[in-house]
Amino acid sequence: MQQASLHTAPGRFPTAAAGTELLRLDSITKRFPGVLALDGVGFDLRCGEVHALCGENGAGKSTLMKIISGQYQPDEGSIVYKGEVRRFASSLDAERAGIAIIHQELNLVPHLSVAENIFLAREPKRGWFIDRNALRRQAQACLDRLGVDIRPDAPVKSLSVAQCQMVEIAKALSLNAEIVIMDEPTSSLTESETALLFQVIRELREQGVGIVYISHRLDEMALIVDRVTVLRDGRFVDTRAFADTCVDEIVGLMVGRSLDDKFPERTSVPTEDVLMEVRGLTRRGVFHDVGFDLRRGEILGFAGLMGAGRTEVARAIFGADPLDAGTIRLGGGEVTVKTPRDAIAHGIAYLSEDRKSHGLAVKMSVTQNLTLANMAAVSGALGFIDRKAEEQAAWRYIQMLSIRTPSPHQVARLLSGGNQQKIVIAKWLFRQSRILFFDEPTRGIDVGAKFAIYQLLDRLAAEGIGVVLISSELPEILGLTDRVAVFHEGRITAVLNTRSTSQEEIMHFASGHGRPAAPGAETP
Amino acid sequence: MSNPTTKTLDATPSAAAAPRQPVSDGPQAMNGPISSRVTNDRRKDLIQKFAALAGLLVLVAVFSATSDAFLSVGNGMTIALQVTSIAYLGIAATCVIITGGIDLSVGSVLALSGVVAALAVKAGAPVPLGMGLGILVGAFCGLLNGLCVTRLKLPPFIATLGMMMVARGVALQITGARAVSGLGDSFGELGNGAMFRIVRIGEDGFPDVVFPGIPYPVVLMVVIAIAVAIMLSRTTLGRHIYAVGSNAEAARLSGVNVAGVTLFTYVLSGTLAGLTGCVLMSRLVTAQPNEGVMYELDAIASAVIGGTSLIGGVGTISGTAIGAFVIGILRNGLNMNGVSAFTQQIIIGLVILLTVWIDQIRNRR
Repeated sequence: MQQASLHTAPGRFPTAAAGTELLRLDSITKRFPGVLALDGVGFDLRCGEVHALCGENGAGKSTLMKIISGQYQPDEGSIVYKGEVRRFASSLDAERAGIAIIHQELNLVPHLSVAENIFLAREPKRGWFIDRNALRRQAQACLDRLGVDIRPDAPVKSLSVAQCQMVEIAKALSLNAEIVIMDEPTSSLTESETALLFQVIRELREQGVGIVYISHRLDEMALIVDRVTVLRDGRFVDTRAFADTCVDEIVGLMVGRSLDDKFPERTSVPTEDVLMEVRGLTRRGVFHDVGFDLRRGEILGFAGLMGAGRTEVARAIFGADPLDAGTIRLGGGEVTVKTPRDAIAHGIAYLSEDRKSHGLAVKMSVTQNLTLANMAAVSGALGFIDRKAEEQAAWRYIQMLSIRTPSPHQVARLLSGGNQQKIVIAKWLFRQSRILFFDEPTRGIDVGAKFAIYQLLDRLAAEGIGVVLISSELPEILGLTDRVAVFHEGRITAVLNTRSTSQEEIMHFASGHGRPAAPGAETP
Repeated sequence: MSNPTTKTLDATPSAAAAPRQPVSDGPQAMNGPISSRVTNDRRKDLIQKFAALAGLLVLVAVFSATSDAFLSVGNGMTIALQVTSIAYLGIAATCVIITGGIDLSVGSVLALSGVVAALAVKAGAPVPLGMGLGILVGAFCGLLNGLCVTRLKLPPFIATLGMMMVARGVALQITGARAVSGLGDSFGELGNGAMFRIVRIGEDGFPDVVFPGIPYPVVLMVVIAIAVAIMLSRTTLGRHIYAVGSNAEAARLSGVNVAGVTLFTYVLSGTLAGLTGCVLMSRLVTAQPNEGVMYELDAIASAVIGGTSLIGGVGTISGTAIGAFVIGILRNGLNMNGVSAFTQQIIIGLVILLTVWIDQIRNRR
């Protein structure tokens, strides 16, 4: 403790030896009107460690994160930072003290350059004017420290999401941050980008920075996390060294019970009845000669790396993006799909991975979202809406999918991610869709809600719907699907029988290697 | 291809349906923090409506106190008549703004429409036909606006800014920048006539106006307001208008004809601008190519005062009607109190800032 205070000397690099305590929170309590968000939670962070914060949605992770970064002030409890009891009045206050936070939604100005973003509102000046040389030099120094290859002059809008994240981290370093909080940093990164991010995190750890790491992706944590703290319902559950635990145990702590089965028993039996026959689908520069069959009552997985063309194929079949070539046959007849309206009329639905921007009209109510794709069913002549029928339909689906909402008139924005996802699913069930494309349906949803979504997918298949599951999580693909189409760079490299394949085999095809002498491979 | 899913799922709403019991789920959620948010939201909504209406009543009270002539049936009708053009345009603006667009061209389009109607009548066309032609010209301008937005993908601000200049230019061109007059009494009927006008011949032999009647433009305003309000709140088209403004991409992926819906709002806006033009010119029995300058801003102001969000997705006709009357009553009352036109403009400007600021504060909480 006293030792730690020695390290408050202003230096470019935190000089503390790894292992000294950097931050300690004691019995933090935070109340919001009607909710006890945090109840006597403790947390500590050492220099040079990556400390993961785990919990389901609503467990109190983000509240705790906001207390550390000064956005909220605790009602009770103390914050000891570098040996001193501190109270941060604002996020600016915490930032000055060396605590930086990197939000899931990155806060960069797209039209400014990398250097301008790093030093936004803190530009080095010469007299009244910005000192452009100093700006570039200092930005370069920050980027060099991370070991990333990004030009300080590049406009931020030209960067990938991963590169933007690096810029955010560089910005944190430019503030001489000793604690960096990362909220779901890998949620939109490809695997190679994630690897790069982890390399940077290790670099920071070497330099003695303490990192608070929040993520739903428990599997990745093994690669970088030193310790993990689990919260449940606003209470502290346990802090453990990651080496002494395993993912299943953490999940068990998070949900308060051991999760023997992460996936429900499959009840549906796929038939041989082909619902949809896709051949030679091509969109120049995006995907080529994609063909597959979807059978009634089966769950077909689309596996592959990010950017392999899975989402693009689904969107094209749904008419959201144009096609250059290829045929889609439904129940024997060839159909033309030019717009989503055409696809919907044929009973095809696509549930986007990005619910907020592509799936939901967030300002509209649960009911209004639910009936949006099938207004004809609740309106009479001249398009007059039968409000009673509409509300009845809403109640029916709210109960059927157990959507947690206080009323059908609740604005969709105010519901949790899992419930929003259910609204989107309900919308397509109400439209009586026969073919459903689910694009990353469990992204950003907590463990309990995930299970409910899995059960729902199984039930849909059991009802005779053809389900396509696009997922980047291989366990999900292996746990739920009947067959897997593996994508690599815009082509299907294999269609595998899920029961007789393995994670390794799927990865093999997904990374573009040729066919291994493995059983279970069908003709693509 | 009947669908087994929904039917089967419907048949067993409770059995396989819920991993958790929906019955216990509902009330549980009700007791949570969400329910307080809902009531807050609903209360907020009510307060907003009520606040605007209360503001309106305060204005009426203040002006009634400061001017004897303000609170009378005759002046009430005068105000209603003055409000009509702002209201027509405000109603149209509301629809456009809900989709996330804007229409800056209505002031010019109404001038063009009125001028075309007058020229047609002057050329010998019957009045209804001439005015019909004028309204069609307005609708056509709206169609062009809509096509620029949906086909050429121009930002609505730019597309309608262009139309604003073009329509004004055409109106000035075809009239040689001169007013068109000598249109005959029947041209003035729409703007100056009234329903239920009661006139008794007094004992002295002079006509005595018992009830000034409800001017046709006011009747039209009420009919249009109710029709559009029903369209927005009760029909599929209205729902789609909100959906486009709330999230255009989500609407498209739900099968909403986003381009068609957007186009409709611009055509509606053009049509109502055309109607406004005919009514205004009819009131003056003269067609002025310079009529309606800056009216688009009054229209937008009335929508915004009434709680329509310029980001889209939010807005009501009742709100806009209140907004239009706030502007109308301010003008009328200030006039009666001898406040100069310049000062009036300053006050109305401040009122817009104030109402939107209050709205922002309320939404921030």
